Amino acid sequence: MRFGKQWFFIVAIIVVGLTYLAFNGFDFVSFGGTGKISGAQDMRYGIDIRGGVEAYFQSADENVIPTTQQLEQARTIIETRLDSKNITDREVTIDKQRGVILVRFPWKSDELEYNPQTAIKELGETAKLTFVEGIDETTGEGGKIVIEGKHIVDASHQFNQDQTTGQMNYYVKLVLSEEGGKLFEEATGRLIDKKIAIKMDETIISNPTVKTKISGTEAVIDGMESIESAKALADKIKAGALPFALVSKSNSQISPTLGKNALNVMVKAGATAFILVCLFMLFYYRLPGFVSIFALTMQVVCQLLALSIPQYSLTLPGIAGIILSIGMGVDANIIIAERIKEELRSGKTLGGAIDVGFHRAFSAVRDGNITVMIVAVLLMMFGSGSMLSFGYTLLVGVILNFVTGVTASRIMIKSLSNFIPLRNTFLYGNRRAAQ
Amino acid sequence: MIKFYGNRKKFFIFSMTMFAIGIIAFFINGISLDIQFKGGAILKYSFVNELDKEKAANIATTTLGRNVNVQEITDIAKKTKQIVLNVAGNEGISAQDQEKLDIALKEEFKDADLKLSESNMVEPFIGQRFFTNGLLAILLASLLITIYVWWSFKRIASLSLGVMALIALLHDVAMVLVVFILFKIPLNDSFIAVVLTILGYSMNDTVVIYDRIRENARIMKPNTPVDELVDVSINQSLTRSINTALATFVSILIAYIFAFIYNIESIKTFALPMLVGIATGAYSSICVAGPLWVVWQKRKQNQKQLLKQGK
Repeated sequence: MRFGKQWFFIVAIIVVGLTYLAFNGFDFVSFGGTGKISGAQDMRYGIDIRGGVEAYFQSADENVIPTTQQLEQARTIIETRLDSKNITDREVTIDKQRGVILVRFPWKSDELEYNPQTAIKELGETAKLTFVEGIDETTGEGGKIVIEGKHIVDASHQFNQDQTTGQMNYYVKLVLSEEGGKLFEEATGRLIDKKIAIKMDETIISNPTVKTKISGTEAVIDGMESIESAKALADKIKAGALPFALVSKSNSQISPTLGKNALNVMVKAGATAFILVCLFMLFYYRLPGFVSIFALTMQVVCQLLALSIPQYSLTLPGIAGIILSIGMGVDANIIIAERIKEELRSGKTLGGAIDVGFHRAFSAVRDGNITVMIVAVLLMMFGSGSMLSFGYTLLVGVILNFVTGVTASRIMIKSLSNFIPLRNTFLYGNRRAAQ
Repeated sequence: MIKFYGNRKKFFIFSMTMFAIGIIAFFINGISLDIQFKGGAILKYSFVNELDKEKAANIATTTLGRNVNVQEITDIAKKTKQIVLNVAGNEGISAQDQEKLDIALKEEFKDADLKLSESNMVEPFIGQRFFTNGLLAILLASLLITIYVWWSFKRIASLSLGVMALIALLHDVAMVLVVFILFKIPLNDSFIAVVLTILGYSMNDTVVIYDRIRENARIMKPNTPVDELVDVSINQSLTRSINTALATFVSILIAYIFAFIYNIESIKTFALPMLVGIATGAYSSICVAGPLWVVWQKRKQNQKQLLKQGK
């Protein structure tokens, strides 16, 4: 394919546009649309940069290996507590094999007191589930406990259909212990048309009204909005009956100030590396080197966009991955520039040398990049914590390299070679004498 | 033209010497796993004014019921001071105990404005899983890369190139390991990441040279001796090998220098072995992988001739 003079400017404008986008993002709202493209200023950073907590919770009693169901219950407890602390940006994952739960959350920027030990301790405490009567509706405090978590044998979500109206009715079915049943019967007898609040720790998770006196060991909380909300409530109630406490002996914490400094330092390091590599390319390879600066810029800004748009966490090793791919990224340009130089010296015309150069260099670039892709994927599959981000930036860098280092560079070089003053083969590395 | 095959013995001796140094260092320094992999506990507090390390160690030891060793570190660039509490044993510490320790230390050193800057607790069973996962990743990467190279280069000499490339890879992994031993860096997840990256990087380097061999095998006369074929190919791609290694090396070197000045541990332990890996990756591709393949091919030819003579 032929690329006329205008092509260089088209690619250059795309690079400038992407650079602007990567740093500033793009807000559709101001143009009458919805949503936005996040730029570097909305980058989501990992815990090693933002500061925060990563904790594995295990059963406090080492002889108890929690079942999958119990782990799910414990997860519900932790999620509810994180909600009550207003920590929404978090990850809670279960490792069924080892019977552990991993909780990861960054330190919130408006938090002044940095006290992660207490936060971890509180997350792992045995959940206290209570059914409370006569609670103060505005403060959620006070009242008398009717039954507790230990009285609950099981809770499950159920539904039926009203025969006449056809409306679905979602509800939670509770199974109480013998003792719990008696207590509940007494209380519901007294409290008809009044409310019994269900609390986990200090959070009210449901506040149903008693309709009739409930005798026996089965009770129903109905009027749920959907099957999901019935399930959520049942899970929370079951979680309150978890028979063991959770403890976290494996956790790491990083203070926000430490991470912030590290981020600034690594950004400076990245910028310095970028500038040095660009200067090297420009002086050593001349015109192909000049083109590689655009290619490299495109690669780095697309890498940033690949992080910021899906809000993939960027960690310190992730930044190291970007820096590494700056160095590795010019490899394609170096291989191609060397090849063009060689072809020119063997007496080919400029156009011929560029075509052959790209053609011959492609297989080397492809094979080389695929080997790096293999390791990057494995890093993402097996890597732990902050190394995932390294694998991701490396992988994205290598994939982008095909587009920027090979395709975009080719278009730019072909296009520039149409300008008469730029047809001097010296600019492509040929010896001056050969002009 | 540099005669790489002719000088092969020098290169092999150089590599062997490096390994010997590594082995000697192994017997002196040993090799240790970071608490990330073996389990354990470490806490870092920033402080101002003066702080009695001995006293801090005593308080921590009594509160936790485990031996605690305290070190002081200073950040060159920011002049901030930190104490590092290394807790003996390979168990983690529960959040409850951490809280007690926090309170006890802050109580004792009221003027020091102690702030927890970093902590890391790992139970052995969790660390072990990370370690096995990491090793598994390295194993899989070596396998997949070899298979890819074998497949991609089957036209010139199927298996032997893949095997030689693998030897060059093992060479580089061993070199990276030597750095960890020499500088007494405990093996941590940086080690896994560096080894994986170097596997990819070094293979990339080797592949570019093999690619040239593949191409020259087509262009050059069919009876060209294999050592000439390889030497020509390495020389043709030499500038590229060196320049790419240089660009990558300089990028990582800058990251290392910044991390060193500002004392960013995670990048320091990552960048230093990476630097060595990049250097050895380039070296092994140029000076080891090619010449070694020639040695293999020549042996095969000799055997064939011997067989012919035998008839």
